[in-house]
Amino acid sequence: MASQNMDPTAAAASSNAALKGNESGSSAARGSVSKRLQQELMTLMMSGDKGISAFPESDNLFKWVGTINGAQGTVYEGLRYRLSLDFPAGYPYQAPRVKFVTPCFHPNVDEQGFICLDILKDKWSALYDVRSILLSIQSLLGEPNNESPLNTAAAEMWDNQDAFKAHLHLTFQK
Amino acid sequence: MFASRAARKYSDTKRKRTATNHDNHQDLYLCINIDWLVEPAAMAAPVNIQTPSKTWELSLYELHRSPQEAIMDGTEVAVSPRSLHSELMCPICLDMLKNTMTTKECLHRFCSDCIVTALRSGNKECPTCRKKLVSRRSLRRDSNFDALISKIYPSRDEYEAHQRRVLERLNRMHNNEALSSSIEEGLRQQARYRNHRVKKPTQESDNTTFSGGEDNGDARSHLSHDSAPSHTPHPRGQTPSEAGPSQKRPRVSDDGSGPEADSGSRTPPPRRHKEGPALEIELVFRPHPQLVQGQDYNQTRYVKTTANATVDHLSKYLALRIALEDRGREEGGTAGEDREAGGTGGGEEGSGLSNISEKQYTIYIMTRGGQFSTLNGSLTLELVNEKYWKVRKPLELYYAPTKDQQQAPQPPQQKSPPPQKEG
Repeated sequence: MASQNMDPTAAAASSNAALKGNESGSSAARGSVSKRLQQELMTLMMSGDKGISAFPESDNLFKWVGTINGAQGTVYEGLRYRLSLDFPAGYPYQAPRVKFVTPCFHPNVDEQGFICLDILKDKWSALYDVRSILLSIQSLLGEPNNESPLNTAAAEMWDNQDAFKAHLHLTFQK
Repeated sequence: MFASRAARKYSDTKRKRTATNHDNHQDLYLCINIDWLVEPAAMAAPVNIQTPSKTWELSLYELHRSPQEAIMDGTEVAVSPRSLHSELMCPICLDMLKNTMTTKECLHRFCSDCIVTALRSGNKECPTCRKKLVSRRSLRRDSNFDALISKIYPSRDEYEAHQRRVLERLNRMHNNEALSSSIEEGLRQQARYRNHRVKKPTQESDNTTFSGGEDNGDARSHLSHDSAPSHTPHPRGQTPSEAGPSQKRPRVSDDGSGPEADSGSRTPPPRRHKEGPALEIELVFRPHPQLVQGQDYNQTRYVKTTANATVDHLSKYLALRIALEDRGREEGGTAGEDREAGGTGGGEEGSGLSNISEKQYTIYIMTRGGQFSTLNGSLTLELVNEKYWKVRKPLELYYAPTKDQQQAPQPPQQKSPPPQKEG
């Protein structure tokens, strides 16, 4: 978790929480998290959803890499984004930490790739899984919440879809 | 009091009756819409008997659905394992429901542990539909459902025990694997360390590394192993001066006590060992006890070099070294300097160094019978080590002037006092 580049206070808080989870929850608790993640992986691979995919980064089941293809009919069509998903020991009761690895120009994504999405914060539910998270982010791409933007420039540009698209494709870097 | 007892009795029989009813239906549950099972809360208040004070917010589906007839005959309805699984699964742990709890209002089912943890750690709402769940009392134990599951999977406990065993074995294997790999790694490191220790003599009277060791400042110690043995004068040998000022490391020089100098009273200066990619070999180099007389360059030399250096390389290095030392003695004797420092500083003319060759000295090794056998110049030290030495301690070699060049090296004119360190 140290490798994740995020707001230090948030990182400290979340890593503390994870640490606590590790301490209080025995290896059995950790085992149940792995079990759920394994289940998710299996269903994700079986489902064959178009436009999203995810897989554990290495042997560590608690760190995944996901990809999202911009949905058809949106300015993001044809663009492919990589994300990192970091699962706390308290998953699924705590939301995973999700951020864009590929830089993403979007009203609700900041320069570090952090995503402002309620279901990853206070609206998290234990029923969400990797698949629903990725699908939610995919739909967020096409339907930003311009009321509370992280990237104000993107929010202002959003109304002019042609300009937005031009800027997006111009600045897109894998 | 009496009335209340009667009432209790009545309710007891009622409970018993419902229980038997459930038992009767148990076999059927499999074949019917499972939602039907847990819908009694909604069905208990059918739309038409609603009291005006309490209105139910029912969906269109709920408004129009009619209770399904219980199948009482032998009709079988096929349910796919997948849909069965999704009905019996807890959406939080994605495992089969265990100690099922159902939310009272929205009728969503979870394992008891799962929903309790979810409510404790998250919002007070149904994880599935966000219906407010005020407290644990918004949940109801669903023993019917547990009974249904145990009916469908009578060997669930057995299955879980098996699964646990498999998991444990997997974990153990994983641990074993990790353990064995860490042991392997440890062995590798130990072997590497052991090699270091073997190559590192306990005393260094004249410790030199040539070719790529850490003694980079000392030109004399550079006998490049890639130079062909037939090269006559080593170019570096002609300009030993470049090494003189850069001799930084204090050097413990042999004070002329001969072969017994290695009897271990001195501790080696602490050395930083740099790991080179090439295998290194350490050797103890002594004058041939029979062919070299008492006072002639009677140093025990400790040399560290790469294992692919040949005997010729060594021989040439020795010739250069001795020649430099001789000159050092000549000059250092008058200046009263450390003979090694003098040796490096005084080689500018390079006169006597130009005819240095690997032919000047012959290298011997003591065989098991105590005999000295001449080593072929083209042998690499690694080969010598493998063929003749075989033990895990520094290779011991002997040197003497080659017979026909006996007079080439100058015997030392005087012995210098024990070294005074400088620079």
